[in-house]
Amino acid sequence: MLLTRLLKPTITASAHCDLPCGVYDPEQARIEAESCYKIIEKYNASSDEQFKTRAIVIKEERAELAKHHIDVLWSDYFKPEHVQKYPEITELCWKAAKQCSKVKGSLDIAEAKTLLDMIDKIADVWTKAGGPQATRVAKAAAARA
Amino acid sequence: MEPALRAGDWIVVRALSRPPRVGEIVLVRDPRKPENLMLKRVADVADGACTVLGDRPDESTDSRTFGPVPLANVLGRALFRYGPIGRIGWLW
Repeated sequence: MLLTRLLKPTITASAHCDLPCGVYDPEQARIEAESCYKIIEKYNASSDEQFKTRAIVIKEERAELAKHHIDVLWSDYFKPEHVQKYPEITELCWKAAKQCSKVKGSLDIAEAKTLLDMIDKIADVWTKAGGPQATRVAKAAAARA
Repeated sequence: MEPALRAGDWIVVRALSRPPRVGEIVLVRDPRKPENLMLKRVADVADGACTVLGDRPDESTDSRTFGPVPLANVLGRALFRYGPIGRIGWLW
């Protein structure tokens, strides 16, 4: 640890522009998709019409956000060398983005579950492609536990 | 600058002892924001200024955006990557 501290550079230079930030994680899409899932659950359990209307509006927003995050991963994070190595990623992202549209217009919890599964498949490729190390900032040990 | 450089690489930069040459990776001050340091590849040196480009033109902000960098703002030349261990190696 001491050695690492001694060797660690003290000056940081960026090798690309200040934007994009370079942080990409399918978890961002997953959280929005989980919101859709839970909202549909709550919608089905409720008999309050006003609540149900709000639930629909919010679910549509969340589904749109999930789609946005998948698009960003696909167009900004995954590079040609990833596609070469994991050719399935193009179809996974494409289908997941389409599934977001389905969830947006549906109150079927099975559709929301399908979306979660699709995002998990994208996350598998992201992990295999070294995404966690390449794109995320390490958390403090306490936050990881 | 991928794949030559990746976020988190540990790089030894040598202060400039001679003008940079085309193809070398140099540490430059961002002319738009001098406290910002960047590593870019030299594409051309002329009239006391250095045109620097990223290795990934479609994602890079470089001399195409901020113009050539005066040699006074070219601080050094990237020589060696000493971390992460798997990527240790010369950069020239």
